Amino acid sequence: MSDLPRRDPRQEWIARNRLHPRHAEVLLAAGQGAASEWQGPNGLVRRNPHAIGFVGPNGVKRIDRSGTQQGAGGGGATTPAAERKPLVEIEAPAFLVAVVPDMAGGRLSGHDRDLLGLARQLADADPVARGAVVAVIFGPHKETSFAEAGVDRLLHLDSPDVAGYAPEARLGALTLVEEAWAPRHWLLPDSKLGGGELGRRLAVRLGERPATSVWQVAADTEAVMGWQCTARGAAGSLDIRRPLSRVALALAECAEPVSETRHAAAELALPQPLPSTLSRIQDLGQVSVDPSGVALSEAEFILSAGNGVKDWPGFHHAAEVLGATEGASRVAVDDGFMARDRQVGATGTWVTARVYVAVGISGAIQHLQGIQTCDKVVAINMDPGCDMIKRADLAVIGDATQILEALVTLVAQAREEKRDAA
Amino acid sequence: MLDILLPTLIFAALALAALGAWRRVRLWRRGRASKVAFLRGLAAMPRRYLVDLHHVVARDKVMANTHVATAGGFVAALGLAVIVHGLGLAEGMLGWLLLAASATMFAGSLFVVRRRRNPPARLSKGPWMRLPKSLMAFSLGIFVVTLPAVGVLPSGFSQGVGGWLVALLLAGVVAWGLAELVVGMTWGGPMKHAFAGALHLAFHRRPERFADTQHGGYPSTGLKALDLDDTEAPLGVGQPTDFTWNQLLGFDACVQCGRCEAVCPAFAAGQPLNPKKLIQDMVVGMAGGSDAGYAGSPYPSQGLEDRPVGEHQGSPHGPIVAPASTKDGKALVDAETLWSCTTCRACVEECPMMIEHVDAIVDMRRHLTLEDGATPGKGAEVIDNLIATDNPGGFDPGGRLNWAADLELPLMADVERAEVLLWLGDGVFDMRNQRTLRALVKVLRAAGVDFAVLGNEERDSGDVARRLGDEATFQSLARRNIATLSQYRFECIVTCDPHSFHVLKNEYGAFYPPGQESSYPVWHHSTFINQLIESGRLRLAPGQASRVTYHDPCYLGRYNGEYEAPRAVLKALGVELVEMQRSGYRSRCCGGGGGAPITDVPGKQRIPDMRMGDVRETQAEQVVVGCPQCTAMFEGVVPPTGDEEVAVKDIAEMVAVALDTTPAATLAPRDASTPQATEEVMS
Amino acid sequence: MQPEVTTMPALEVTVLVSVGRHPLTGRARRADQDARGVELARSLTDAEVRLLHAGERDVSSDAALRGYLGMGFTELSLLEQPEGADVLPALAEILDETSPQLVITGERAERGEGSGLLPYLLAERLGWPLVSGLAAVESVEDGVATLLQALPRGQRRRLKVRLPAIVTVDNAAPTPRQSAYGPARRGTFETTAGPVSDDEEWAAWQVQPARQRPKRLKIVKAASARDRFKAAAAKAEGGGGQVLTDVTPEQGAEAILTLLREEDVLR
Repeated sequence: MSDLPRRDPRQEWIARNRLHPRHAEVLLAAGQGAASEWQGPNGLVRRNPHAIGFVGPNGVKRIDRSGTQQGAGGGGATTPAAERKPLVEIEAPAFLVAVVPDMAGGRLSGHDRDLLGLARQLADADPVARGAVVAVIFGPHKETSFAEAGVDRLLHLDSPDVAGYAPEARLGALTLVEEAWAPRHWLLPDSKLGGGELGRRLAVRLGERPATSVWQVAADTEAVMGWQCTARGAAGSLDIRRPLSRVALALAECAEPVSETRHAAAELALPQPLPSTLSRIQDLGQVSVDPSGVALSEAEFILSAGNGVKDWPGFHHAAEVLGATEGASRVAVDDGFMARDRQVGATGTWVTARVYVAVGISGAIQHLQGIQTCDKVVAINMDPGCDMIKRADLAVIGDATQILEALVTLVAQAREEKRDAA
Repeated sequence: MLDILLPTLIFAALALAALGAWRRVRLWRRGRASKVAFLRGLAAMPRRYLVDLHHVVARDKVMANTHVATAGGFVAALGLAVIVHGLGLAEGMLGWLLLAASATMFAGSLFVVRRRRNPPARLSKGPWMRLPKSLMAFSLGIFVVTLPAVGVLPSGFSQGVGGWLVALLLAGVVAWGLAELVVGMTWGGPMKHAFAGALHLAFHRRPERFADTQHGGYPSTGLKALDLDDTEAPLGVGQPTDFTWNQLLGFDACVQCGRCEAVCPAFAAGQPLNPKKLIQDMVVGMAGGSDAGYAGSPYPSQGLEDRPVGEHQGSPHGPIVAPASTKDGKALVDAETLWSCTTCRACVEECPMMIEHVDAIVDMRRHLTLEDGATPGKGAEVIDNLIATDNPGGFDPGGRLNWAADLELPLMADVERAEVLLWLGDGVFDMRNQRTLRALVKVLRAAGVDFAVLGNEERDSGDVARRLGDEATFQSLARRNIATLSQYRFECIVTCDPHSFHVLKNEYGAFYPPGQESSYPVWHHSTFINQLIESGRLRLAPGQASRVTYHDPCYLGRYNGEYEAPRAVLKALGVELVEMQRSGYRSRCCGGGGGAPITDVPGKQRIPDMRMGDVRETQAEQVVVGCPQCTAMFEGVVPPTGDEEVAVKDIAEMVAVALDTTPAATLAPRDASTPQATEEVMS
Repeated sequence: MQPEVTTMPALEVTVLVSVGRHPLTGRARRADQDARGVELARSLTDAEVRLLHAGERDVSSDAALRGYLGMGFTELSLLEQPEGADVLPALAEILDETSPQLVITGERAERGEGSGLLPYLLAERLGWPLVSGLAAVESVEDGVATLLQALPRGQRRRLKVRLPAIVTVDNAAPTPRQSAYGPARRGTFETTAGPVSDDEEWAAWQVQPARQRPKRLKIVKAASARDRFKAAAAKAEGGGGQVLTDVTPEQGAEAILTLLREEDVLR
């Protein structure tokens, strides 16, 4: 079976011809995109509104506009794009490259994928003696695309010992991996929690001096491992060029993630069970922190109120529903609507949020200075000419009270649907 | 009878007063040593009293005359009474003179009575309410007992039982007067101000304050430097005895007239500061005890109620501000009180007793910052930034000229000499102030001024660090700036920041290496522009028909006496200038000085809001300022709903738009930069 | 710990402090995380806090170290080490000798390699547990410390660790108090000479000021020629944000929600 797509001019012709008796059937079989949509001969997207939707289990026609469930009744006729990528299998690897992804939220993060990309680079350097990438995963996960991310072997360790914050147990497990397979490279993400910590522990246990904050790796025949790396040092102010060490902790974007190929991701098992270690660190679980109580400087998502906010209970409710930390402009604080420690700006707190939603804030210079480092700024304001609108990535002109209400409704709805779906 | 009683009373009172004076002097002497020219000070005292002090008192004509009558009458009456009644020398004119003196005093005391009938809120009550009665008692008593001495009444009037009673009564009245006016003077009564005040004038910590007015200069306003090389000296003032003795003496001179309270912007904004109460607290600390006896307006607080008196207490060697570790956190003064001050000097300007409130506040702040590390609000961060990046915002010091990338400003490092060194200040990092700076550059170029900037070699002047009490950082900045300045040749420094202006002009002098001194004048840009206009180098096209008001920045006006130049410039621009009710030396602070926006002590309202209220009262379309702090504070004011926003303009911006761009300017090209300048103007 | 020990002796805490580097000007200063560590130690009740620094003493490091003294200390123990030396053996030796209950460090140094390895090496060498990324120490009772570890988004995790232990502090730990000039000036350095071992590897590496990392380009993996053309001809992003005027509140909310979803800040 080849994965190469083959064109069938007849099928395409039927798909274009709405009057053809087999039209609907062919569309379903083609499966690329929505059955109700196809590309016309001139590149225009054609849409058949009658073909939208599918018949649900109770015989009622359902329409899902997100397109994800499209044509579920069509069965396995569709081929996911991922499966069309060439599959690369490495039966007898010359060596192993062990990667311990962070799996934040149970999924491979962008950082993890970059790291796997780097691992592939190391493993595939010599086409004659290719290595295999082993991913070591702790605890339950929700990830399904290990194969596309470039994992040849997957070692999934799911025992209660290694769940949660258990650096010592995890270190024990990694030591077993080392004993069993002695990977040539150990790659871990140099992230705040997880890889950054585990990698250092591992390096110290293995007696290796790790390269940390690695952001560039290049082949160098003179180096010990055959690789030279560039690492950040001194709080990011130095570039250190040094041979790549056995254990390396790499930064995000250290390499391009795997995108062209598919890999086996074959399950692997440890030759011996995990030893039960008596941990000296006991995890008592996450402490519930009220998002509105999070320090402004730490907050990732801030809903900030200014002079234009009239409905204060509505604002607080919105912040609660969105799970946002509350901020305020100087005027809102001076007028006594918000506490002094909630003030954002040059005279208040400088914030570094990823998303900053300014509600009714016109954007005094001091305030704009305070939000300089925010990634995305959303402004909700009546006045289209104010400075905040100029700064904002997305600005909605209108009544703040109504827009917040609508937003709260939308979010609540989305949550409801999610719960129903689950 | 009376001829025995009176001398006894008079001399007993004098003796008691002397004893009290000795005790009081001992209290003052607990303060640190301070070099004072004793004899010269004493010799200068009458002049300082009659000229300088009365210059301030005379702002209120009625009170000035009342004081002249009462105080003059009292001093004369007391002196004469000692001679006439104490020594029994009633011959000739003396008795009549005594009568005249006590009558004058009585007349004065009637005005005091009238004033006390319905006293304004700023006056202290308590013992001060009985003062007019005591004044009347003394003057009346002396008047009556003197009548027999000049023969108006028979000298034997006090014979017999009735006479005895009259004599006793008279003696009692005189005793009351003497007790209040003579004994009370040194034992802490309201009349203490006369005794302490006179000595305070003689031994004032800033004698140059008085000398300078004589020579047309302006009173010394620069803060006194802390000697950081002396490891024994306390860093600022942590306990009352850390003040110098003449500062303590100065606090004792307070007459509790409350003029400071009436002009204090922080007090008006409901921040927990009342300069009068603060000075009284210092007196309490010096003598030991609690502030329960204070009878004036207390410190405001954010709630509806003011802060009650009686909760704070202190002692000469006790802490002024409670250390953070103590639980209830109350000592003599709350830290917030000290941090509320904007160092606008309105209180010092108004104080008839020449008390230096701002010096005292900064002294105490120095202790809080240098010893306790307790600069509130963003203060600590600002100081850290100043140490690490030489500017309060923590910006890259290598980017000071980024705003002017297109202006091609000549750098001192390249040209090495220039007519004018343009001191840009930290406004280079502020987008609003960059507009002002651009306008100023345009004006200077239009006038063909040969100027250069320090660029990245410039550092913060140290003003904020110093007002926040961080003398160490200030001195470090000052010394490094001085070293930079001394590398180049220029005729004068021009800056558009009055804070830098004040520090460069008045405060850097103490930090020049031995053998060197500052050899250049420093001008605020308004003064310099005025000079350019007057000398005809700058041609303006008048005819801006707008109604403006001018806000005097504290550090330009009160600190440096420059009230005229900005107004002259506005006049040359031909705009209609309406003055605010409080302008000139009584100008109200914008709230931006002394690190007040950094420490950000909450109050009932904000100072800039009040000032913009003043601006709105004049119905001006624009408010013209000459200070980046004032601009920032005023632009931060949200107008009350329904009101038009009043434009805030720096004086340089006003001039820049009114430049005369007719070709006449290009007829006399000074140098290569002129064509470029005209191009600037046209664009 | 034995139960009969009822009167707890003061908790002995050692904070490892280093000379920091201001990110913009490169001037020596107290290292941010170390200062937070000192603040954390100061906030512990009944703690006897000792500051320890291993490194060279010169004019700039002296000023920076005095920054720690200015937080209210009278002395700082200084292990004199030449520049570029490996301070681990000296530190391990002195910690072994003084055997504090709790050692607090920052996560990474602001100068030198800054690999953040030191606490791990010390923990391994001393055989102590290590907890990283602390936001607070909640309590210390019977030789067990209850700690709060900082997680992203201001979240916290509660941990218990048996003492003695090494902990590193996160940026979420309390902001360090102001360093006051007076105590900083009066404080003294208690200098001891420790064993010196050279760091040969470090000396062999090429070190240069960090250069800007290249921005990752968006690579379009298009299946058809038309997609590739579309990607190539697409308008460059940026240059002012999107402004929605004359929209219903619902449409506006929809747009905002899309952005929030894209940024993945909704939970």
